[in-house]
Amino acid sequence: MRLGVIDYGASNIHSVARALQSLGSKVSIVDTPDKFKNIDKLVFPGQGSMGSCVKKLKETEMINPLLESIKSKPFLGICLGLQILFNSSEESKEKGLGLINGCITKIKDINKENLKIPHMGWNNVKIEKQHKLFSGIEDNQFFYFVHSFVASNTETSITTTYYGEEFVSSLATENIFATQFHPEKSGEIGLKFLENFINWKI
Amino acid sequence: MSLAVRIIPCLDVRGGRVVKGINFKDIVDAGDPAEAAKRYDAEGADEICMLDIDASFEERSTTIETVKSIASQVFIPFTVGGGIKSLKDIDMLLKSGADKVSINTSAILNPELIEEASKEYGAQCIVLAIDAKQDGEIWNVYTHGGKNKTELDAIEWAKKGQDLGAGEILMTSMDKDGTKSGFDNNLYMELSNNLSIPVIASGGAGELSHLVDAVKVGKADALLAASIFHYEEISIKKVKQALQIEGFEVRL
Repeated sequence: MRLGVIDYGASNIHSVARALQSLGSKVSIVDTPDKFKNIDKLVFPGQGSMGSCVKKLKETEMINPLLESIKSKPFLGICLGLQILFNSSEESKEKGLGLINGCITKIKDINKENLKIPHMGWNNVKIEKQHKLFSGIEDNQFFYFVHSFVASNTETSITTTYYGEEFVSSLATENIFATQFHPEKSGEIGLKFLENFINWKI
Repeated sequence: MSLAVRIIPCLDVRGGRVVKGINFKDIVDAGDPAEAAKRYDAEGADEICMLDIDASFEERSTTIETVKSIASQVFIPFTVGGGIKSLKDIDMLLKSGADKVSINTSAILNPELIEEASKEYGAQCIVLAIDAKQDGEIWNVYTHGGKNKTELDAIEWAKKGQDLGAGEILMTSMDKDGTKSGFDNNLYMELSNNLSIPVIASGGAGELSHLVDAVKVGKADALLAASIFHYEEISIKKVKQALQIEGFEVRL
């Protein structure tokens, strides 16, 4: 089995690739349209804003093969890789991939609790719905987050996390799974989650 | 529910080896960095910090090898500092596996570096490190690993750093560093009251109560220490348990 890690040129793909490799996976970096071939599963670690990410995917002509692959292959979106699945974001004029309905919004109610933005650090992940990617992971474990925008109110939600408001910390629909947290930076539990993705059969 | 208080063991590295000094002097050898990082990860560290204490051009390749070695074995956030002078240095460290970089002297000599780096890589990966020493009512900023005194006021400089785009402030009290006599809580309290970005307190950890007080009194968001963890005087788990008893959120 070959895992493809998408590199659109503005994201730190190395830690994800290293974490997957440490679990014994064969990892290929996908940075051109032709590299989507021969890939069995895709990981999309995103960084930055939705607008610049979509723009870069268009510039590198990877957007169409990406959309094609997302239809059938097991897909894991991380951080912006979750947000980009939505229709739109308050952060950018550019539209997202539109695979999940809704708009990504800036974290609310930070003043009320004197919270800092970005939401950076370890926070609790509450399991709302069981999923194979959380097998062997207990409820309310800490995962590592770095972000300022969030998804909320989606039927696809698997876990939620509280920071100023309750937001979607991971979601799933058919072959797509996406996390707002960084499993590749969440220590042993994060590695367990990635191992579950490697073993995930749809 | 809020964010967990982060416990960050720091590896002071020179020429690919962990070292530790007292009051920035008297350096002693203390082992292999990747082995130490792995041990800290297993013990529950929330992040790993590596400071190359006298990174020079000749030693840059050693630093990169050490960073790669740690990043391929440890899967928690990893900050690297020491001798960073340009965007090119930052790029190289991030590509080698660092998640954040900590910038000290270069930020004072060239404040635009913070601004440019923050724009290029995001505020979350830029840590402004400050070495400060109390002088009457204020704290003075020192550069070059504590060797040179500047006219900068540490609180003002931290505020400026935040405005320039730093995502965190790592403040080391030179008066307290290596003394094991407790953190400079007045300094951290003053900082927390003036900043909206997280403050990492460093320098002076000797006993459990010191670490708890830096959060309770100093309002620090994260605690950084080197020797107490390195010489296993206090375990990371014990620190977290003590913080939990006081009602703080920790990742146990």
